Amino acid sequence: MKHYSEEDLILHFYGEDAGRRRREISQHVDECASCADVYRELAGTLQLLEAPEAPERGEQYGLEVWQRIRARLPEPEAPWWVRWLKWDRLAVAGAVAMLVVVAFITGLSWSNPGNPSPASPPAVASTIASDGRQRILLTSVTEHLDRSERILTDIMNAPDGGDISTEQRRAEDLVSTSRLYRQEAVEAGEQSVASVLEDLERNLLEVIHSPSKVTAADLDDVRQRIDAASLLFKVRVLGDELRQRELSAPPAAPHARTVTSQVS
Amino acid sequence: MDAEIAAVLARARQGDSEAFRALVERHSRTAFRLAYRMTGNEHDAEDVVQDSFLKAYRQLGRFESRAHFGTWLHRIVANCSVDLLRARRSRQDYNRVDDLDAVAEQPPADAPGPERLARSAEIDRFVASALSGLSPLERAAFTLRHYEGRSIAEISQTLGLNTSAAKHSVFRAVKKLRAALAPIRGES
Repeated sequence: MKHYSEEDLILHFYGEDAGRRRREISQHVDECASCADVYRELAGTLQLLEAPEAPERGEQYGLEVWQRIRARLPEPEAPWWVRWLKWDRLAVAGAVAMLVVVAFITGLSWSNPGNPSPASPPAVASTIASDGRQRILLTSVTEHLDRSERILTDIMNAPDGGDISTEQRRAEDLVSTSRLYRQEAVEAGEQSVASVLEDLERNLLEVIHSPSKVTAADLDDVRQRIDAASLLFKVRVLGDELRQRELSAPPAAPHARTVTSQVS
Repeated sequence: MDAEIAAVLARARQGDSEAFRALVERHSRTAFRLAYRMTGNEHDAEDVVQDSFLKAYRQLGRFESRAHFGTWLHRIVANCSVDLLRARRSRQDYNRVDDLDAVAEQPPADAPGPERLARSAEIDRFVASALSGLSPLERAAFTLRHYEGRSIAEISQTLGLNTSAAKHSVFRAVKKLRAALAPIRGES
């Protein structure tokens, strides 16, 4: 006789199984004494867990909440299409600026390799390169943090005793990228970014160095480290912060025009 | 009524704070109840409600007018609760085993019957302690499934997990709770 697992019985208790399967499990629990015992105990425990009664809040509660938050209301984000347009414009302007700078520097060294470069244009170029580099760094790190958050969430929710080799491979890719971004962040003076990336690397290395068939204890260990470092929280907060900075960054177009005119 | 709500929402999305105030007044109590179930703490629930409305205001531009504001806010409250539980967990030095042992070692009053026992403060304390032994995601998934009656699919959507991860969060929560509550069910 095929017995049902605890997971099957939990889903059955909550009515997550449907149709034929639900009927099969009901029938089996009726006929099988050991599954019936497990199910009875499970249902008994879950029925003990009544919804905690929230302290009463009066009719005026909404108004009280409003009074508390009204002075702290943030600036609303622009609608998505505005953000997209803005990001898109910035990306295009940044890319054009970078191309112009590269062309400019290449042109200088190509036409006059023996002479030192004149002072003014490279100074402008260096500023633009630095702005562009910063912006590219922000965008790349934001994407990197999103990918890392997905892996960490998967690890936090991996089944005990399961195979995490896929997550380990993804973590390996991320660790090497993370190191590069961290160095870039240090050079750009972004200490807080570098610090979160360092925490992230440490925890990703823990994931990589765990056995791919993790025991419940191993997995709990990794999860507790991630929890203790508030890593998911930090990654989310930093991701949000960088997105905000990307949105509020000034467009690079005026610099690009200046350089274009100097080149031509 | 629907048209009225749609008009309020449209004004709020254009940055009209008075329109947003109407939404806050309408949805605060529901938000508080969910936040309290998620965090198990009145003060934390208050913080979650405020953070959730601030976040909702900032992100109103992302809200699709076809969706229901209450559903969208529910998701924000659930995720703000998870963030708060994570922050709280990292701040405090949780010693779950000691907590549970301390509760388990207290002698039962005078052997009350099961109905009385199920409603007693002792059980409530034991349950609260068992719930605090869950990870933030496990607690959130369990609260949504057990107390809020949300399906696994809805939980995965609310918490931004895939279905399997949502399911396993509920499984782990139930397993931990069974183990933690075994003493008061007379098991070894």
